[in-house]
Amino acid sequence: MTPLLPVIVPFGAAAISLALGRRHALRRSLGVLALVANLVASVLLLQEVRDGSVVTVVVGDWPAPIGISVVVDLFSAIMLSVASLMLLAVFVYAIGSSRTDDTTLFFHPVYLLLASGVSASFVTGDLFNLFVAFEMTLVCSYVLITLGGSKPQVRHGTTYVVISLLASTLFVTAVGLVYAATGTVNMADLAVKLQAIDPALREALSVLFLVVFGIKAAIFPLFFWLPDSYPTAAAPVTAIFAGLLTKVGVYAIVRSQTLLFSQDTHSTLLLATAALTMTVGVLGAIAQDDVKRILSFHIVSQIGYMIFGLGLFTVAGLAATVFYVVHHILIKTTLFMVGGLIEERTGTAALRRLGGMLHTSPFLAALFLIPALSLAGVPPLSGFVAKLTLIQSGLEVGAYMTVSVALFVSILTLFSMTKIWAGVFWGAPEAPPPMPEGLESSRPRFPPLMVGSTAALVAASLLFVVAAAPLYQLGQRAAEFLFEPAQYVEAVLGP
Amino acid sequence: MIVLALALTVAVLYAAGTYLLFQRNLSRIVIGLALLTHGANLLLLLAGGRAGRPPIVGAEGGPAADPVPQALALTAIVITFGSTAFLLALAYRSWLLTRSDEVEDDVEDVRIATMTALREREAEEEIVVDEEAS
Amino acid sequence: MIAVLAVHAVVALACAALGRRLGRHVLLVGALAPASSLVWLATGPSPTEKISWLPAVGLDLELRLDGFGTLMVALVGGIGVLVFLYAWHYFGERPRLVLFTSYLVGFAGAMFGVVVADNLLVLYLFWELTSIASYLLIGFEDEEGVARSAALQALLVTTLGGLAMLAGLVMLAQSAGTYSLSGLLGGPPTGPTVAPALVLVLLGAFTKSAQFPFHFWLPGAMTAPTPVSAYLHSATMVKAGIYLVARLAPAFAGLHEWWRPLVCGVGVVTMIWSGWRATFQTDLKLILAQGTVSQLGFIMALVGLGLPEATFAGVAMILAHAVFKAALFMVAGIVDHEAGTRDIRRLGDLGRSMPVAAAVAVVAAASMVGLPPLLGFVTKETALASLLSEAGWPATIAVAAGSILTTAYALRFLAGGFTRYATDDREIVVDEAHSPAAGFVAGPVLLAIVTIVAGVFPRLVDGLVAGAAGALGSEGHHLALWHGFNVPLLLSAAAIAGGWLLWRYPPRAVQEAAARLPRAKMVYASAIVALNRIADRVTSIVQNGSLPIYLGVIVATAVIGPGVILTRAFRLPESLIIAENSIQAVTALLVCVAAIGTANVKRRLGAVLFLSAVGYGVAVLFVIQGAPDLALTQMLIETLTLGLFVLVLHHLPTHFENIGWRLRQASRLILSILTGVTAGAFALWAAASRQAAPLSGEYLTRSQPEGGGANVVNVILTDFRAYDTLGEITVLTVVALGAAALILTGRGRSEVPHNDEELVGQKGGDDR
Repeated sequence: MTPLLPVIVPFGAAAISLALGRRHALRRSLGVLALVANLVASVLLLQEVRDGSVVTVVVGDWPAPIGISVVVDLFSAIMLSVASLMLLAVFVYAIGSSRTDDTTLFFHPVYLLLASGVSASFVTGDLFNLFVAFEMTLVCSYVLITLGGSKPQVRHGTTYVVISLLASTLFVTAVGLVYAATGTVNMADLAVKLQAIDPALREALSVLFLVVFGIKAAIFPLFFWLPDSYPTAAAPVTAIFAGLLTKVGVYAIVRSQTLLFSQDTHSTLLLATAALTMTVGVLGAIAQDDVKRILSFHIVSQIGYMIFGLGLFTVAGLAATVFYVVHHILIKTTLFMVGGLIEERTGTAALRRLGGMLHTSPFLAALFLIPALSLAGVPPLSGFVAKLTLIQSGLEVGAYMTVSVALFVSILTLFSMTKIWAGVFWGAPEAPPPMPEGLESSRPRFPPLMVGSTAALVAASLLFVVAAAPLYQLGQRAAEFLFEPAQYVEAVLGP
Repeated sequence: MIVLALALTVAVLYAAGTYLLFQRNLSRIVIGLALLTHGANLLLLLAGGRAGRPPIVGAEGGPAADPVPQALALTAIVITFGSTAFLLALAYRSWLLTRSDEVEDDVEDVRIATMTALREREAEEEIVVDEEAS
Repeated sequence: MIAVLAVHAVVALACAALGRRLGRHVLLVGALAPASSLVWLATGPSPTEKISWLPAVGLDLELRLDGFGTLMVALVGGIGVLVFLYAWHYFGERPRLVLFTSYLVGFAGAMFGVVVADNLLVLYLFWELTSIASYLLIGFEDEEGVARSAALQALLVTTLGGLAMLAGLVMLAQSAGTYSLSGLLGGPPTGPTVAPALVLVLLGAFTKSAQFPFHFWLPGAMTAPTPVSAYLHSATMVKAGIYLVARLAPAFAGLHEWWRPLVCGVGVVTMIWSGWRATFQTDLKLILAQGTVSQLGFIMALVGLGLPEATFAGVAMILAHAVFKAALFMVAGIVDHEAGTRDIRRLGDLGRSMPVAAAVAVVAAASMVGLPPLLGFVTKETALASLLSEAGWPATIAVAAGSILTTAYALRFLAGGFTRYATDDREIVVDEAHSPAAGFVAGPVLLAIVTIVAGVFPRLVDGLVAGAAGALGSEGHHLALWHGFNVPLLLSAAAIAGGWLLWRYPPRAVQEAAARLPRAKMVYASAIVALNRIADRVTSIVQNGSLPIYLGVIVATAVIGPGVILTRAFRLPESLIIAENSIQAVTALLVCVAAIGTANVKRRLGAVLFLSAVGYGVAVLFVIQGAPDLALTQMLIETLTLGLFVLVLHHLPTHFENIGWRLRQASRLILSILTGVTAGAFALWAAASRQAAPLSGEYLTRSQPEGGGANVVNVILTDFRAYDTLGEITVLTVVALGAAALILTGRGRSEVPHNDEELVGQKGGDDR
C-alpha cells in the first residue's frame, strides 16, 4: 500500500468538494467518506509496519536522494492513525455545530486540505518537503482560524500568522544551513551525512531545529501564540488544532532528534525545557477564567510531558512519549469539543457566567469529567497510564527533579480542572448567560452529531485504557525503531 | 570557497528584518518579515556554493551552479509570498474593522495581568473552609 | 473480587442512568453494591485473582484477600449497607439523589479495591478513586461555596499525598523488582532509594488518614451530607492510610530506625492536638470530626510500630472505631434532621424526644471513651497493654493523656446534644424535636448492639480480628473483656476521671490561647493564595499579549541557542573570497543600503519602495549566482508584493504612527545586530564545513535523458520534486480562498460578537 494514500485521499476530496460548490449535503457525505477512507488507509498502513518494517516510496519513482522520499515507519503510522481518527470525529462534530459555518464555501475543502497537510508532515522523508507540508497545514489553519473574520479573530489571526511566518523563515534558514553543510535535504541521506560534519556545527543545527519545531510544538519559551489565538476560533477548529497542530511539531522534534541528530543528545536542555514548559503552561491555566483559555494553556503544559519522555533518551522514555502523544491528542480534542458544547448550549465559555450544568446537563458533565480527570492523570484513565510510564522511565534513570515537577504539575492540572468543574458544572451561574442573537433558533441545544462525536471520542479514550497493553507495545516498538536510525536509512537509501 | 559579500548581505538583511519586527505597526512587521525572507532565500543560494553558469544542460561557460538550492528557493519564495499575501488580507480586514494599523495587546492577557488584586481577594474568601464559624 | 468491583461499577452506572424514576429508593438499589461484597465474603472466595492489563509497566489487576482484607471488606460492606439505609431516611425526594447514589457506590467500590489490591499501582489506582469520589461527595451541595471549597481542599491534600506516594511506590517497586504488594512485603528491598521512597509513601498515608499537619481537610469534609460523613469517617477513606501503614510497618519498621519515632510521633501528636481541639467545639459533627482525627492518630501510632501486640491492638481499634464512629455520626445526623441544628449551644434536652437515638449516642460514646463492657473498652485495654509492653512508658503516657481528651469531648457531645446541662455560653432554644422514624434509627441501633455484644462476648469478633492481625504477622493474640486489675485499667480509669474534670472545669484561658495558635489550614489557604498570585504574576510576565515581545523572545531564543555554540566553535573559513566580481560586490552593497533604508524610513510608501529595491537587488544577486529562473520569479513576486502592499497601504496614513515601543531602542538594536551576525556567521561556518559532494551532478546528468528537459531547475520543479510544487500550488490556492473570504465577508457580520470576549472585557472593566 502506498504511504501517500493519507495525503492523496483528503487532497482529492478537497478538490471535488471545492468543485461541488453549494451542494452541502453532497459535500458533507464526501468529506465524511474521504475521512473514513483516510482512517482506513492509515490503519492499514499501521498494520503493515507494526512488525517494524518501513514502507517507503519516492514520489515519481526516482531513486532516493534525487526525488522526494515518502516514508512510513511505526511512529509515523501511529501518528497518522490517531490523527485521522480525530479528523473524522471533528469533521462530524463540525457538521453538527452552529458555530462553524460548514455552509460557507471554504470550510470543507480547507479542512480536508489541512488533513492532507497533516498527513504529509507525518509521512515525508525529506526536510524541505516537511517545510512544504508544514506550510500547507499552516495556510489552511490561517484560513480556518479567521473563519468569520470577527475583530478578535483578525487580531489573534494576525499574531498567529506573523509568528508562523517568522517560524517558516527560520525553517528555511535552517534548511539552507543544513544544505550548506551537507548538500542534501533527504532525511535518510542527512542522517548519514550529518555524522561527517563538525560536531559543534551539528550541535548548533540541532538546537536551531529544536527552536524551529519548538515554535510549532509550543514549548517554553516559544508558546505565546497558542493561548492567544486558539480560543478565538470556532469550536471545531480549536478542537482539531489543539489535537493535531502542536503534535505535528512534537513529531518533528522527535523525528529530528532521533534520526538527524542522534549522536548529540541534549538531555539536560530538553529536560529543563520540559520542566519549564509544564510549569509555565499550568500556571497560565490557573490564571485564566475561561474554559477555552484554560484548556489552551494546558496544551502547552502537556507538551512539556512529551518533551520530558524524549529528553530521557531511553526506549522506555520515548515509548512513554509516543504513548503520551496518542493519549493527549485524543483527550485534548475531546475536551475542546466539550468546551464547544458548553458554548453551544449557553453561548459563553467564561466561568463566571456559567454554573449548575451538572444538574441541567448531566451527560455533558460526564463527557467533561472523564477526559478532564484523564488529563490530570487520575487512574485508571489513559492519562494515568501515560503519566505512569513517564514517571517510571524518569525514576529509572534518576531524573528526580523532572519527575517531581511532572508530579507537582499534575496536581496543579487537577486543580485547574476542578476550577472548570466547579465553575461550569457546580454552583449557580452569576448571571444567566444570554444567548447571542441569531443562535436562539430552533436548533436543538445539543445537536446530536456534536454530542455523538464527542461521546465516541470519550469511549475511544476508555477503550485506550482497556487496550493499554497492545497500544503500549506499539509505542515501545516505535521507540525502539526510532533509536535505530540505521534501519530507516537502509529502507530509504537501500543497503 | 565562500563569498563574504553574500554572507554580509545575509547578515544585514536579517538584522534589518529583525529590527522591524519589534514594533506594533503591523505594516512594519510585514515589511520586516519580507526582509527576513529575502535573507533566507539568499542564504539558501549561498548554501549551494560558488556561482556558476546557469544549470542548463548543454550550456557553455565553466561549472554549473548547484540547481537544487535554486529550486528550493523558488518554492520557498512562492510559498512565503502566499503567506504574506494572506497577512496583507488580514491587515486589510483589520483596517476595515478598526481603522488602525496598530497590533493591540491581547485583551484577555491584559485583563489577567490587571485583575490580579481582585482575584486574590476573591480567592481568599473562597479557600478557607472555616467549619468552626458556623 | 473482580466480580464485586464489577457489581459496584454496574450499580453506579445503572443508578446514574436509570435511577431517576425510582426517586429516593435509588439509594436502596445502591445498597446492593456494598451488600454484594458481604455476600461474596460469606461464600468463602478464592484468595487471589489476577487480570493481565499492562504487564510491561507492572500494572496488572492483581487482587488478594487475606485476613486483614477480610476485616476491612466486612467494615466497608457492612457499614456501607447501613449508610445507604440511613441515607434512604435522611434525604427527602430530590432529583440529584441519583448522583449521590452513584458517587457513594463508586466510593464504596474504590475502598473495596484499596483493601484487596495486591499490586502497588492498582492500590494507588483505587486510592485516587476514593479521593475523586470523596471530592464529588463532599461537594454534593454544590451551590454552597463552603462545600465546593471543602471538596477542593480534601482533594488537593489527599492527591498531593497520593502523588508523592505514587513516586514512592514506583521507587520501592524498582528497588524490589516487583510491583506485587505481597512480593514487596515478603522481601523488603534495601538500597539508597528505599528510605526516601518510604517517606513519600508515608506522606500519602498521612494525608489520607488526616494526620498532623495534614489533618485539616477532614473536619472541613464534614460539610458533606451526614451519611457521607458517617461512612468517610468510619470505614472508608481515612482508614486507607492506616491500612497501608499497617501493611508496611511489619516489614519496614524494623529496617529503618527513623520509622517508629516518625510514625508514632505523628500519630501521638495528631491524637493530642485534634483531641484538644474537639474539647471546645460547639457543632456536634465537628466535635466528632476532630475526634476522628484524634482517634486516627491513636490507631496510626499503634499500627505504625509494626510490632505484633500493637498491630493486633491497632487492628482491633480499627474495628471498634468504625462501629462507634459510624453510630455517632448517624446520631448527629438524626439530631440535625429532627431538631434543625447541630449547635450544642442551642440544643437542649433531646434525650426525651428521641430516647433511642440518645441511648445509641451514650453507648457509642462510652465505647469511644473505653467504658466496660463495650467493644471500645476491650480494644483500648489491649492497646494500652501493648504500648506498655512494646513501646514503653513515654508513648503509653502520651496516649493516656490523649484519652483524657477523648473522655472530655465525648462528654461534651453527650451533654451538649441531649441534656440541659448548663454552661455559660449555652442559650438553649431547641428542646423538642420530632421523633425519628424507626428505620432511621435502625442502623445506629444495630451498631450500638454490635458494640455491646462484641464487648461482652469478644470471642464473637476475635476470629475476625485475630485473622486480620495474623495476616500482618501478629499471631497468638486474643481479645478479652477482662484482663484483671492492671496498669492499663488504672490508666483508663485515670483518663476517664481526668476527662471528666477537663469537661466539668474547662480551662477557658488555655482554650482561647490555643485557638489563636497558627493552624495548618491557614498554611493551606496561604499556599493556594500564593499559587494564584504566582500564576497571575508569571502569566502576566510571560503571556503579556504583546506581539513585538513575543517576536523578540522567539528571535532571541533562536539566536542565543545556536549562538552560544557558535561563539565557542566558530572559525573563519580559510577559503574566503570577498566577492565573485565587482558587480556582485556593488549589488550586495546596494542591497544592504536599501535594507537599512527600509528599517529607518518613516514614510510607509518609502519603506515599501526600499523593500522592493532590496527584492530587485536580490534578484540581481541571483542572476550573478547563476540562477536566472530564480531571479525571474523573484522579480515577478516582488512586483506582485509591491502591488499588494500599495493596495493595502493606500488606506493607511502616509507616516508610521509613533506608537510607544514595548522594547527599548537599544535592546532592539542589539538583538537585531546579534541576529544578523549569527545568521551570517552561521552561513559561513556551515558552508565551509561541507564534506560530501552535492547531488547537483546527478541532477545535471539525469535531467535531459530522464526528466526530458534541459533546464535542470525546471526539471527539478516539475519532475524530481514535483510533489513540493504541488504543495506550493495548494498553498497559493488556499491563500486565494482565504483572502477572498476575508475581504468579501461584509462588515456587518463582524459586529455579532463571535464569542463574548468583548462582553467579558467590559465586565472586567466594571469590576475594576
